[in-house]
Amino acid sequence: MGIRLYREPELVNPVMFCGWPGIGNIGILAVDTLRKMLFAEEFGEIEPWDFFDPRKVVITDGLLEDLEFPKSTFFFYRTGKRDVVLFIGDEQPAEEETVYARGEKAYRMSHLVLDASEKFGCRTIYTSGAAVTKIHHSFKPRVWAVPNTPELIDTMKDYKNTICVSEIEGSDGQGSISGLNGLLLGVAREREMNAICLMGEIPYYLHGAPWPYPKASQAVLEVFSEILEMTIDVSQFAEMIQQTEKNIEEFLENFFQTETIPLEVRSKLRDEIEKLKRSGPAKSEPTGEEVTELILERIDELFKKERKGDERPH
Amino acid sequence: MKDLIKFTLQPELEKPSLIIGWREDPGRLGPNVINYLNKTMMNRSFCQISPVDFFSLGGVEIKGNVARLPESRFYAGVRNDLITFLSDFPHFNQYTFLNTILDIAQDYCKVEEVYTVSGLVSPIAHTIPRRTFAVYNEPALQEKLRGYGLRDISYEGPPHLNSYLLWAAQKRGLRGVSLWPQIPFYLAASEDPQAVRLTLSFLNRRFNLNADLKEWNENIKEQYVKISRLRARNPEVQTFIERLETGLSLTEAEEMKLAEEVPKFLRKKG
Repeated sequence: MGIRLYREPELVNPVMFCGWPGIGNIGILAVDTLRKMLFAEEFGEIEPWDFFDPRKVVITDGLLEDLEFPKSTFFFYRTGKRDVVLFIGDEQPAEEETVYARGEKAYRMSHLVLDASEKFGCRTIYTSGAAVTKIHHSFKPRVWAVPNTPELIDTMKDYKNTICVSEIEGSDGQGSISGLNGLLLGVAREREMNAICLMGEIPYYLHGAPWPYPKASQAVLEVFSEILEMTIDVSQFAEMIQQTEKNIEEFLENFFQTETIPLEVRSKLRDEIEKLKRSGPAKSEPTGEEVTELILERIDELFKKERKGDERPH
Repeated sequence: MKDLIKFTLQPELEKPSLIIGWREDPGRLGPNVINYLNKTMMNRSFCQISPVDFFSLGGVEIKGNVARLPESRFYAGVRNDLITFLSDFPHFNQYTFLNTILDIAQDYCKVEEVYTVSGLVSPIAHTIPRRTFAVYNEPALQEKLRGYGLRDISYEGPPHLNSYLLWAAQKRGLRGVSLWPQIPFYLAASEDPQAVRLTLSFLNRRFNLNADLKEWNENIKEQYVKISRLRARNPEVQTFIERLETGLSLTEAEEMKLAEEVPKFLRKKG
């Protein structure tokens, strides 16, 4: 069990960016886009079998050819000034059937990622994910930055469109980060390594959506480009953002028209969304008690119905 | 590792083959084949894998009026070249579980070949001659078993635990084959004596078991008679099975109806 390196590149002053699937696939989309834009080279992986069950078998004419597992892959790119290590995981390891990493496996995987980071001398590790908040989907999402040591707070303030948790209305600097994005920060702190989580804002009513939320991925990628001091063309997100917004509008219209959902619930969500649209991004805050569980439940039910068509046979 | 495994006997073995079955198997193929082999070869359990790391132990399951924890046991008996293993499907840590089986097989028992038996749920009628499909983890074994009437299969999709086991065995250089006799979908939830006999016939030939399969012939006859009675009483069931017999397919609703009616009738006594 461990890391398998195909090669050991010498890197200058590298930083590491990590992405896993999660809400809106915000982090993984940002990191994977960076990988594609840089034509980053694959140089290693974490052996999957201790963390994941296989998801596909290939049998040809009676012979077992291959068993495919979710991948956890390392890539690198040399800028000459600040080199880049990317880590992309197809799935988060979990003890039970949850999307987010939990338990011993997640803890062990965090250590393996950090082992690689340490081996290649990465100065800072960045994880990336979603910040579920009260923002309207038409606004540009901000990026919440959470470091694992107070000394890093000032560094993050230099980046545009980035805020600390204490700047979020009503948060008092408190909160939590689910899955590996958070766990990795904690484990890095145990090992006295610098790590920061960058989370793109996503409207709370979309947290269960089956589609990605590219607007937030773009915002996270913009922060990556500042960290790397390099220009990254984010225009490729435009079409995806347009399509996602069309999906959201259609979905909400469908929600408002669904008669099986009580009128009171539908009206409440419509009012909330209108209010968010009027209030602007500055009013963003973590989802609180005002958002009734009932609304979220009903939205999730509709999202689940959308997902059903994509289910794989077992 | 030591805590995972508990030996109760130390059988003397001579490069044995290992036959693996799973309790939760369509048509109860796995438990029926392994239990029959254990009975025929006077096998006794000699080793078990602790359930703690592999199963949710939130209580006990009641089956056949008896409460029991999930069990994973190896058996050996009069034959020193053949052992069996019967287990529940592990709920988690599959890789460790499969490697624990293979550690016992390879390091302790010096197993040379692994055979798994599982039912392949198929859209066929019980009156149609069955086929047994096979998946090998190395070509030499495939070659060796030509002439036994096994059919090669091609498939891409979510893997069964048997494929995972074959892959783990392949990584260690241990050859193996998984056997997949067809089970009519409407017998998947009950018993399928015909698939059991088909599997035992193969094992009989392969290992010269001299096993008397009369009992299974009787079971097959009995099931035929019962289903014929149902067909005579229930025109819908008759139509559906007849369509399958002529190679026609059923709609999802029709399949569900048949899969509900047949096991319900077979469960009735008499």
